[in-house]
Amino acid sequence: MSDRLALLIKVNGEMHEALAASSATLLEVLRDQLNFTGTKRGCDHGVCGACTVLIDGNLARSCLALAADIGEREVTTVEGVAKGVNCSTVQRALIESGAIQCGFCTPGFVMALTYLFSCDPRPSREAIRVAISGNLCRCSGYVKIVEAAERVVEAGL
Amino acid sequence: MEFFSPTSLDEAYRALSADEAQCLAGGQSLVAMMNLGMVSPTRLVSLRKIDSLRGITRQSDGSVRMGAMTTHAELANLDLPGAPASLLANAARVVAYPAVRMQGTLGGSIAHADPAADYPVVLTAARASVEIGSPLGSRLISASDFFRGVFETALQQGEIVTAVVLPPPEVGAGAAYEKLSLVAGDFAIVSVAAIVANTARIAVGGCSPKPMFASDINLTDDALLIAGKQIAVNSDPPSDQRASAAYRRRVVPELIRRAVRAAQASA
Repeated sequence: MSDRLALLIKVNGEMHEALAASSATLLEVLRDQLNFTGTKRGCDHGVCGACTVLIDGNLARSCLALAADIGEREVTTVEGVAKGVNCSTVQRALIESGAIQCGFCTPGFVMALTYLFSCDPRPSREAIRVAISGNLCRCSGYVKIVEAAERVVEAGL
Repeated sequence: MEFFSPTSLDEAYRALSADEAQCLAGGQSLVAMMNLGMVSPTRLVSLRKIDSLRGITRQSDGSVRMGAMTTHAELANLDLPGAPASLLANAARVVAYPAVRMQGTLGGSIAHADPAADYPVVLTAARASVEIGSPLGSRLISASDFFRGVFETALQQGEIVTAVVLPPPEVGAGAAYEKLSLVAGDFAIVSVAAIVANTARIAVGGCSPKPMFASDINLTDDALLIAGKQIAVNSDPPSDQRASAAYRRRVVPELIRRAVRAAQASA
């Protein structure tokens, strides 16, 4: 096996080809080769949550997944949640609650909250706090992000 | 780096026979260390596609065998009665963050053997066993013998952690896991796992290269305090960015008291 691998990865419902180092992370391939730059590189060791994606519907740090190990599994990025220029319900709630300042952490929060609502359409405040416990925001202090999630609950969307 | 993704254990053992070959489980520690430049494996063998490393089964003697690739999230949702299964589920709920819990695995975490991690502590208190496979067959080793030191286990080159076996439920016993950390999801400053019936047995993590263990502790406040102070004196805690060694020694008795009382309340 050579050091560079030809990979086929399904992202947001479409197959993509990439030629990547065998040690490349999913995050590197998404951003640098496939141009899914919504997914952000923050700490690059699994602490900050900015690179959060879904792999087969489960939350994952794309910086802690090797691209070579994705195999047949399907990746969903924030671009897949946003569905083009239309924002998702979670994204709109974040905008309307003023829960975005610099915006760097936002894609990670969108993924964490999108996953939460896919499991539980009416989460408690505590469940919301647990759901975003792996995502760091250095601007907002989290209050408005929790309020945005509660706005989604109240709207029954 | 060479990358292998075998679909059977036999294939995995063959791929692991090369010098410096390493297993990749959920990647939540290993890939982080690769990104930080702390390790650069020359050959990685992914265990992801090996079905026999998955699944949780109750065995005829009441013990529970959990495949090494069981994720923290799966353990957190474990619905098995009584101690010690409840102890493992409690610990799995406080391992790192939701995204890490959905990808990280039991086997990967214990093979990594971080002294501040959660599973070494609970598996030691639970008197669990670790099943280790190699081309020569399979062996069972007690958790207290498996964990040897800081990032050090009884695992030999070419072997794979294949499962963890929890002993049968203990009638009338309660269990609790108390973890003191700076923020939710961080590694422990100190953690205590307790299983309590007429007496308590405990394991303490974060204070020594491998979990400390004590059993047959009486349940009075005095007895718990004496046992706690004894463990604190015998411990060898690190001083790091999370806390000083002196602080860790100081909080050990109180964490033990809390874990034992919570375990009693859960019985």
